[in-house]
Amino acid sequence: MVPKGVVIPGFEQLKKNRKLNKIWNFRHIYLFLLPAIIWFLVFAYYPMYGIIIAFKDFKFNLGILGSPWEGFKYFEQFLNDSSFYDVLRNTLSISALKLIFGFPAPLILALMLNAVMHKKMKRVFQTISYLPHFVSWVVVVTLLQKILSPNVGLINDIRYQMGLDPIFFMGKPELFYPLVIISDIWKGIGWGSIIYLAALTNIDPHLYEAAEIDGAGRWSKLFKITLPCLIPTIGILLIFSLSGILNAGFDQIWLMQSPATLSVSEILDTYVLKTGLQQGQLAYSTAIGLFKSAISLLLIVAVNHISKRVSDVSLW
Amino acid sequence: MGVRRLTPADKMYMTLNYSVLLLFCATALYPFIYFLALSFNDGYDAMKGGIYYFPRVFTLENYDKAFSNELILNSFYISIARTLVVTVASVFLTALLAYALSRKGLPGRKYIVFFFFFTTLFSGGLIPTFILFRQLHILDTFWVLVLPSLYSFFNAIIMKTFFDGIPDGLSESARIDGASELSVFARIILPLSMPVLATIALFVGVGVWNDWFTGQFFIQNENLQPAATFLNKMISEASFQSMTSSSGNSGSAIQNMTETQMELRGVTPEALRMTFVIIITTPIICVYPFLQKYFVKGVLVGSLKE
Repeated sequence: MVPKGVVIPGFEQLKKNRKLNKIWNFRHIYLFLLPAIIWFLVFAYYPMYGIIIAFKDFKFNLGILGSPWEGFKYFEQFLNDSSFYDVLRNTLSISALKLIFGFPAPLILALMLNAVMHKKMKRVFQTISYLPHFVSWVVVVTLLQKILSPNVGLINDIRYQMGLDPIFFMGKPELFYPLVIISDIWKGIGWGSIIYLAALTNIDPHLYEAAEIDGAGRWSKLFKITLPCLIPTIGILLIFSLSGILNAGFDQIWLMQSPATLSVSEILDTYVLKTGLQQGQLAYSTAIGLFKSAISLLLIVAVNHISKRVSDVSLW
Repeated sequence: MGVRRLTPADKMYMTLNYSVLLLFCATALYPFIYFLALSFNDGYDAMKGGIYYFPRVFTLENYDKAFSNELILNSFYISIARTLVVTVASVFLTALLAYALSRKGLPGRKYIVFFFFFTTLFSGGLIPTFILFRQLHILDTFWVLVLPSLYSFFNAIIMKTFFDGIPDGLSESARIDGASELSVFARIILPLSMPVLATIALFVGVGVWNDWFTGQFFIQNENLQPAATFLNKMISEASFQSMTSSSGNSGSAIQNMTETQMELRGVTPEALRMTFVIIITTPIICVYPFLQKYFVKGVLVGSLKE
């Protein structure tokens, strides 16, 4: 403690030295961080710097800095492009449908698994439910295509036995969203239930005992104890999936779409890939990508802020 | 739970619950059983339909052809090499990062964490990443399959949370005895962290094993195609044949593959695809059930904070 106004010669110097000393003591830790810092600078921050090509007429031979500026030309271009709005609408529709139908599914599975008293059975059920999560979307779409194939696929095979004509399920735009939702639930339901199962085990069993003494039945326990106890978990998951609304699931959509379904299946991510890598409109594609990631960033910051104020739980 | 007699309503509810869960598990498993049956069935016989859960004309021909086809074998060698290299390197590097972030009193830790965390909120996107790979000259090399997959901040946080749970006393006393940071990390922290290392190894390994994207868009050399990319080309080729045109996936490798598949007389391209799916899925089925106890914890940690 140094009283105000008293100057001790060299005190500031000493404080600085102590700080430097501390940093010196941690020199090995900084060394441990070095490879990670280099990697993130190169593979994460350098591409962020590369975003400026969205405002440039990018040419490989001129480089990122050397290419001439174009201002907001590409942003104007996609905002005036009618297919951009179709893409945006498809993205939001798929995300919204996944949220409405896909979001409750893991919760329901968790509640059902929680009601299984037999420990071993429960474990086996869980193990099986995780399987689809671990296989690639390529595999899932291969399974789906074969099962729905007009060419001796499972469903059409059965239809044939019943004397019905085959249907080309994957080529029908009106069936695209249902198939996306179903395959998404199939792949993600087990994995998604993990967090709810953990929340369920955290509920105080005394609550149930007390309710039973009061004569509460199965359903009233569910609605008056279980679900209210899960509200925080549900709320957080819901809020954060809202912030991912512009991600409709690139792998799945890219692999499932075909020219026949393009009018409903083109989403922001697939559009960025096609305009950029396949048509070579690098700056235009980057501009759309930037539009998407900027909005996503705003959403997650906003959503985190709200969540912090409402429920005290936040990402940072 | 008390010893309460089950009422008839309880029993009915339990039966219903079990039935729905059994049906659910059947739905999760059935597509694989269907493919397993088809992969062991003669391809031409399968065209008649009617094979749902068991082969009708049993044959090992499909597997024989798959394992003797050089392109297919090569794609698996690439995937195996990639998965091993990335998993080992990534687990080690991520652990190093996580250990550093878990050291208490590290000057500037808040800023360092933010430096890494920000990359999970915002990214450069596809084209700037493509330009980076081009400028690094890693396009169309094995490196593009390895380098970009080495770190994930999410995994580092799962590890850091685990390291935070290891009592400080152990490493503190080692430090007082003059142990270096590296030996504390290697001799104390790592041996105590096998569960979390296994979890991250699983996440990273499955991730690169399943990744078809890198091979599809950043690799052109057929001899560097990973298995998942190869499978994708097989299915786009299938939709190319059966229906209109493929969903814009580029052409030359597909054409070559059609030729290789033509050579495989006696085996239909479709039976080969079913077999491929079974082969690519088997390693995953053999690994994840044994790590269930660990990865469940990992998921929870990851979903909690930071």
